[in-house]
Amino acid sequence: MINTDSQNNRSLLMLSVMLTGWLVPGGGYFLLKEYSRAVIILLTLTLTFCAGLYIGSIGVIDPVGAKLWYVTQLLFSPAVALIGRVTAVGRFGVYGRPAEIGQIYTTIAGLLNLLCIVNAVYSASTHNRPGGK
Amino acid sequence: MFLQTVLVLATFTTPEQIGTTPQSMLLLLPLVAAVSVAYKATKVKRITAAAFLTESALLFGSILVFMALTALVLCVIAWFVTG
Repeated sequence: MINTDSQNNRSLLMLSVMLTGWLVPGGGYFLLKEYSRAVIILLTLTLTFCAGLYIGSIGVIDPVGAKLWYVTQLLFSPAVALIGRVTAVGRFGVYGRPAEIGQIYTTIAGLLNLLCIVNAVYSASTHNRPGGK
Repeated sequence: MFLQTVLVLATFTTPEQIGTTPQSMLLLLPLVAAVSVAYKATKVKRITAAAFLTESALLFGSILVFMALTALVLCVIAWFVTG
């Protein structure tokens, strides 16, 4: 019974770490009380994502014409979906080099966040476990 | 304050002017730095300023060296292919 409760708690922790990490980059580590790690990830990923938006404009988030890029950008945060709703109308067209670089920056920020989420969930799975981290 | 906020937000609605010049390759550097820092933030067991910065700098350098070598190899291949 105790084992089942403990397993349920761990699963709940892993799920909350995953969701928090997606809502706010680095949020998963914040839940695990690894504050410095959380702050470093939050600042680095947010700066990278904002740099991409600044270089290519919000037009680089294009849920209509660049679906695959959009899915990976969405890994950064659900806030991307809100920007996607604004740009889906097609008023923020961007082409050429700025579009390329903006898309690469925002996509890399999304993929790095996926890496951080996976790592935070793994840390949560071994959290306070004998032999774990 | 409101006007300043609007102006800052407006800069995100128009793309920057970036030509296809060799200098535009420098935009690679912040991206490599971000990858190094984020990767090391997940891998370093205990974060202390000195250890973290050293590890990130080493990874940053390694990525740059590897990319330079890759570019060199591609240039040599292109040189052979085009005559």
